[in-house]
Amino acid sequence: MLRALLGAILAFGVALQPVAAAPVTVRDAFDRSVTVPAPPQRIVAIFASNVEMLAALGLADRIVGIESFTRYPPEVLGKPLVGGRLGFSVDEVVAQRPDFVVVTPSRQAANQLVDPMERLGIPIVVLLQRNVEEILSNIRLLARLCGVAERGEELVAKLQARLDRVEQRVAGLKPPSVVMITGRLGNGLLLVTRSGTYTGDAIVRAGGRLAFDGGIIAQVSPEAIFNSDPDMLLFAGTEKDMKELIGRPGWSDMRAVKTRRVHATSRVELLIPGPRTIDGIEHLAAIFHPATPSQ
Amino acid sequence: MRAWPLLLLALALSIVIAACAGHDWATPSDLFRAIAGATDLRSRLLVEWRIPRVLAAALVGALLGLGGTVFQGVFRNPLAEPYLLGSAGGAALGATVALLVPLAAPQSFVLPVLAFAGAWGATMLVIGISRVSGAVDAAGMLLAGVAVAAILGALRSFLMLALSDETVSLQIVLSWVLGGVQTPSWPILGLLAVISLACLMLTMVLASRLDVLGLGETMATAFGLSVNRFIAFAVLAGSVVVAAAVAFGGLVAFVGLASPHIARWLVGPLHRPLLPASALVGAIVVTSADAIARAALPPAEIPLGLVTAVAGGPFFILLLARRLRT
Repeated sequence: MLRALLGAILAFGVALQPVAAAPVTVRDAFDRSVTVPAPPQRIVAIFASNVEMLAALGLADRIVGIESFTRYPPEVLGKPLVGGRLGFSVDEVVAQRPDFVVVTPSRQAANQLVDPMERLGIPIVVLLQRNVEEILSNIRLLARLCGVAERGEELVAKLQARLDRVEQRVAGLKPPSVVMITGRLGNGLLLVTRSGTYTGDAIVRAGGRLAFDGGIIAQVSPEAIFNSDPDMLLFAGTEKDMKELIGRPGWSDMRAVKTRRVHATSRVELLIPGPRTIDGIEHLAAIFHPATPSQ
Repeated sequence: MRAWPLLLLALALSIVIAACAGHDWATPSDLFRAIAGATDLRSRLLVEWRIPRVLAAALVGALLGLGGTVFQGVFRNPLAEPYLLGSAGGAALGATVALLVPLAAPQSFVLPVLAFAGAWGATMLVIGISRVSGAVDAAGMLLAGVAVAAILGALRSFLMLALSDETVSLQIVLSWVLGGVQTPSWPILGLLAVISLACLMLTMVLASRLDVLGLGETMATAFGLSVNRFIAFAVLAGSVVVAAAVAFGGLVAFVGLASPHIARWLVGPLHRPLLPASALVGAIVVTSADAIARAALPPAEIPLGLVTAVAGGPFFILLLARRLRT
């Protein structure tokens, strides 16, 4: 009760003085309580999604470190690299003298960085994106932490309005069953989008339906994909790679291939959980339900 | 006995160099300032992160050196090594179960216990297989070890694929499997130091009987050693040591193999000097390898197990070649 009251007072205070350097406390995806004493000015942002969210909030100039697979937006590309495929360097992060670090638990990032940053007293937030809603709440959380809460609300409201328009557009239409291939492994197995992920959620929001759930393991054999007999086959990648895949034995017999309902989709829109995911959902909706006029 | 000052000096030197090494190299005077209590970010990085990690690496190396010496002594096999005999693989499987399978007991308790159970179970299995098949020689034991390690590795991989939450737990397990010293907090480092000292004492108790066993089972029996009971006890002790090393350092290959050999060149084959010497060599090797892992490819950090495997693999091949020729 008291905590709720304090929270309300605090929220009121923050709302009144958006620029004042009051400490902000949030709960992150690991249920850690993270406090920044003042809006951070030197941010190390690990992974494209976190960089894109900050950039969408107009905070790209505060980013002082990225990892080597971050390719967007252009203004962050020259920033110092603090890690890459082989993992992340505590030394290199600290060398940027950050006052805030944001990571997503992938490629060892959280495992390697949370503990040292906590010990050094550098606020570090871990963000997860299991569905589209969490992408929006991550944007809000970053905005609050960085002292631009209002900007965050505006951005989220805009994105939400676009999601609502897609929802209205596909409401009542029969969802096609969909398999989306997101990767190919050397041994011939394929990675497919599962439910319980933001990409799976994006497919559902765009008016589709996952043809089968990958089960406990994300890698499936082509056979399992043939058997699931989806209405539509999506390939996250280039048209050329997609044609190469469906040109292989067996694929031409698939109903989706015969009926020419095979589409290459953008990897950056659907496999980076940031603002561009909303673009991806709009594009998917147009693929799933082409009869309705595109917005 | 000139080897001891040399070893201690080398260890001190490797610890200082390793504490300086990183993407951002520190000087010894930086280290001194940090230890003296400077509060800037870089000094705190050194004191809270790098120095505990370097010391933990040294202790993990010492444990691996001890474990390797015990196993080589028990099996009278210069190619015996925790990593190759399946005990490290068993410990890793136990640890994977502890990390991934939801169990009722707290992880801090379950993890070392399961790591030990895995190390011990796997080693006993290897001994059992080589005994039953009548192949108690070096090659037979190694082949059994390879087979058991492969099975354990497959089980571990399956658990990782099936049970892990890709984003969180898989990465913790993966960093274990690839070998890498976790940076302990200072109290945990103290605990590791106590454990390492206890392991040294435990293995020293075995020293004279390991020497006797080295004369051959018949001879050892003639000297009044209850061979089977002693081997069972020594394997148990070795498994405790390996489990402690794996719990703090993951799967670090070949250190347990190489350290006793290097130590033998320096102090001879008797176990009383060999065990502490081997621990020192292991500490020097892992401290140096960990420094390379951290500093070689900035900004990334190479898993420690890969560094020791790349450096230690050729060493193993050399030993194998020499042994096959004799």
